Amino acid sequence: MALFQSVFAMLYQFGDTFAFLVISCAGLAVIFGMMGVINLAHGEFIMCGAYVTASAARGGLPLPLAILTGALVAGAVGMVVERLVIRHLYQRPLDSIIATWGISLIATQGVLIVLGSTMQGIGTPLGSIDVGGRSYSLYRLVLMACALGLLGGLYLLFYHSRFGVIARATIQKPQMAYALGVNTGRMYGLTFGLGAALAGLAGGLYAPTMTMVPTMGATFIVESFVTVVVGGADIFVGAAPAAAILALIKAGLTAWYGQLFGQIGLLVTVILVIRILPGGLSGWLKGTTR
Amino acid sequence: MTISKTSSGSRARTFLTRLEGPQTMGRGPAFWIAVTVAAAAAAAYPLIADAWTVGNAAYFLIWTFMAMGLSVIWGYAGVLSFGQTAFFGLAGYAYGVITLNLGAAYGLTILALVLAVVIGGLFALVIGYFMFYGRIQGVFIGIVTLSVTLVLETFMAQTAGPQWRIGEARLNGFNGMSGMPPLTLPWFGGDIVLYPGPSLYYLLLGLVVVSYLGLRIMLNSRFGNVLVAIRENPHRVAMLGYDVRLYQTLAFAIGGAFAALSGALYTAWGQYITPSSMGLTSAALPIVWVAVGGRRDITATLIGTIIVLAGFQMLTIYGSQYALIVMGGLLLVTVLVAPQGLVVGAMTLLGRIFRRGKS
Amino acid sequence: MTRNRPTLAGLMAGAAMALVAGAPAFAQEGPIRIGVLEDQSGDFAAATMVKVHAIELAAKEINDAGGIDGRPVELVVYDTQSDNRRYQEFMRRVLQSDKVDVVFAGFSSASREAYRPIVNQFDGLAFYNNQYEGGVCDNNMIVTGAVPEQQFSTLIPWMMEEYGPNVYTLAADYNFGQISAEWVRQIVEENGGTMVGEEFIPLGVSQFGQTIQNIQATEADFVVTLLVGAAQASYYEQASSASVGLPMASSVNVGQGYEHKRFTPPSLANMFVTTNYIEEIDTPASKDFVERFHAMFPDEPYINQEAANSYIAMNLYKQMVERAGTTDHDAIRAVLAEGDVCFDGPSGNVCLDPKSQHMSHTIYLAKVNDDHSISFPKVWEDIKPYWLGEAGCDLTKNDPSAQYTPSSPPPAQ
Repeated sequence: MALFQSVFAMLYQFGDTFAFLVISCAGLAVIFGMMGVINLAHGEFIMCGAYVTASAARGGLPLPLAILTGALVAGAVGMVVERLVIRHLYQRPLDSIIATWGISLIATQGVLIVLGSTMQGIGTPLGSIDVGGRSYSLYRLVLMACALGLLGGLYLLFYHSRFGVIARATIQKPQMAYALGVNTGRMYGLTFGLGAALAGLAGGLYAPTMTMVPTMGATFIVESFVTVVVGGADIFVGAAPAAAILALIKAGLTAWYGQLFGQIGLLVTVILVIRILPGGLSGWLKGTTR
Repeated sequence: MTISKTSSGSRARTFLTRLEGPQTMGRGPAFWIAVTVAAAAAAAYPLIADAWTVGNAAYFLIWTFMAMGLSVIWGYAGVLSFGQTAFFGLAGYAYGVITLNLGAAYGLTILALVLAVVIGGLFALVIGYFMFYGRIQGVFIGIVTLSVTLVLETFMAQTAGPQWRIGEARLNGFNGMSGMPPLTLPWFGGDIVLYPGPSLYYLLLGLVVVSYLGLRIMLNSRFGNVLVAIRENPHRVAMLGYDVRLYQTLAFAIGGAFAALSGALYTAWGQYITPSSMGLTSAALPIVWVAVGGRRDITATLIGTIIVLAGFQMLTIYGSQYALIVMGGLLLVTVLVAPQGLVVGAMTLLGRIFRRGKS
Repeated sequence: MTRNRPTLAGLMAGAAMALVAGAPAFAQEGPIRIGVLEDQSGDFAAATMVKVHAIELAAKEINDAGGIDGRPVELVVYDTQSDNRRYQEFMRRVLQSDKVDVVFAGFSSASREAYRPIVNQFDGLAFYNNQYEGGVCDNNMIVTGAVPEQQFSTLIPWMMEEYGPNVYTLAADYNFGQISAEWVRQIVEENGGTMVGEEFIPLGVSQFGQTIQNIQATEADFVVTLLVGAAQASYYEQASSASVGLPMASSVNVGQGYEHKRFTPPSLANMFVTTNYIEEIDTPASKDFVERFHAMFPDEPYINQEAANSYIAMNLYKQMVERAGTTDHDAIRAVLAEGDVCFDGPSGNVCLDPKSQHMSHTIYLAKVNDDHSISFPKVWEDIKPYWLGEAGCDLTKNDPSAQYTPSSPPPAQ
């Protein structure tokens, strides 16, 4: 029983961290991994999703629908941002860093001015379960399931749907796709919008468990970048194993050496991975380097 | 400061010739007259301004070194470092630790300043070696450097306990290290303590002028030309027989040393250094200054940095909460409308008008 | 949600107040200028906006009643954006350029340490109106916030008596958390209890799965939560959804960031906080204060301990200037050294301690109920900031301008 208890505890911790990494990095993986745009406003799309979700939920919408609304709104905002700003910067990836940072500043401070410095939370649903004398939040288990569902859904979308094939073609060889009659501008917009919507989804999913403040996106951003970078360009080959490995490292270090080493370990890992595997895990797994 | 184009035999002349060249904007008597006037105006500034304004101007000058260093790395060598604050913070702490242990007598603070810059520069050299010899490229440089500065921040933030001390100096965690002496010059009849005021201002102004002219010479020399060539086409440069990694590493170390100079001066200025000076927000600031001014020119970077620093401070004083929004908007406008940087745009425009007037 | 008020408006309101109210009644000496450096944007804005309002309220009341010693009060307000550098810039500005007579400044301890060398350099006088980790022994600083010995020497023994001797501490991994945890450890040991766990969380961490398990693995009777910042506040929601179910004790929550108002019940239920003021306190003086506050700032989300401290500090300053007959700092310190600078304000009677220039407090034990309403099971009156004085800090004799901690106390005299 004690063994089962500690095994479950470890699995739960691992799954919890894994889910956090996967969910928070999915949007970034699409935008950075596929489009090559470093989106420093990733955290603000997450915040947008969380705020919309919380408002919708308090307005009486059931939580799953509220989360969906949050994701859709964030996606719509993302498409507008792409049209107005990002579209002009595809040839200048370093400039897109500055532009998205500018957007992030405006969003954070704008929300602070308009909506105030905090927003009331909505509370975590579903309660807890008891395993071997310790209690665990059920909602966290739902989040783990969501993470797996998200990976599966994205895989289907990008590899087994017409949209996915065209999106990948557009991003890999834009001129060729354009010559073949693809409306590349629209595809870029949709892909960026998808990335923003995934960020919004992350915000919606974590909104019930977190403090709602305009700067809440910042707590996601380091972890998501680390995961995407360790994963490398191909999000499906890379991001899932990257999240798994990082979750193992982080959960392990946190369990045995405390939160400080969990934080630092994550950052050191990314430095080492970039040094040893410049193409990230996916580059290595596919036997190629950039 | 007129410089003849015909190369005479003297080394010094060749050296000075490099004050202007293809890698820096501005040439000819008109430009140098403008520079001289600007320097003279800056030197006369304390005569007309009150004590606070002068001390505040000195504070702005402190940051220009980090900006110029980033301009070398990012604008000239084409490598975006997101972690200049790592060298800034390390040097700041180094200055604090050294001065708290050695004291301020005999000009030891100056020694501490030099040592801090050396430490920061060496750290940049090591990180640069690690990255460039590991063939890390592009945006990944940004992510590695950012990770380095965040690791330092996270680590320093928890060093509040009494066990974290180096000699007399307590690191003091997130609250920051304080109590170190300001820069102190040994002088006959008593040391001169450089509190923020005219004397510190003149020291910094001198340092800025020397750094600026020195960097111009460096950038127009063979070294600078190779850096720009690497930015434009690393493969071709490698084919021509240059060791690209070595040049990038050296440029990175130079940029790091300049960031370290800013860090040590900042610590001496405020007698205070904190881990948050290595955090995400602080790390992004130098990039903003350099981008808004114009990263590909050292003059534009210098002017841009001072304008942005002063502008944002004014915004904070008078625009209050809206300061950050205006700041974000400014970044967007710069990137979308004047991607070369606002100062570079303005300078190009001026140059065009000037030439038209001549012809 | 209420909207935040731009500083500019506050500034102008302050200036206008001084002008309108002041015109006929005041003497010719000119106004007393008070610098206010608080974070009105950035991470800390939620807890600090109200401090500015409290100072504005106090300034209005003082001006309406004829000013300080016949001179009107004029506020010089800057937004420090939760950024230490802004404190350095603006502290120099208010002291050198605006030439204020006194400064009210700072939320985080880091910001205080950032501006303190500058106050010392110009020999200014600054009020730090925040609850903090204690230990600042500096002639140029007057601290009105509560310190650990006031909050923990009351809270911890009471909790141990009520719930049991096994204590788990969860603290933010920086100066405030580490020093507070040290106090908790010491007081638990003195009272014959056991520390069953102690964990430090880096600032900015928002995921607490492992921590929650660690707590559940021990036989803790209650958890001391010394968590700071919006990210770390996520702990309560996560602990509640995992049904940790242990009583919590804290010195920072509720009284500062009004978490019980912001979070959904019952995530903070069974939290016990020692605070020197919160708006729920049910005394006539407190009710009157809240009423006056809301008359001037109807949208104020919450009046926290820092707001009360800022308000009290204004009135203490008024009293000291009037007794000294001047705004000269040495004269003010001489008044303070007499040891009877007291004020009967919204939080009860408080007095300044001449040795440490800290303030005595009435400490209220606030309990968060299941529906996040507040009750007060216990009140301790006149709790003194004794530690610095006992450890050897005596500002009436010398001024070390240092911050001490229990593990690095003042050098023996």
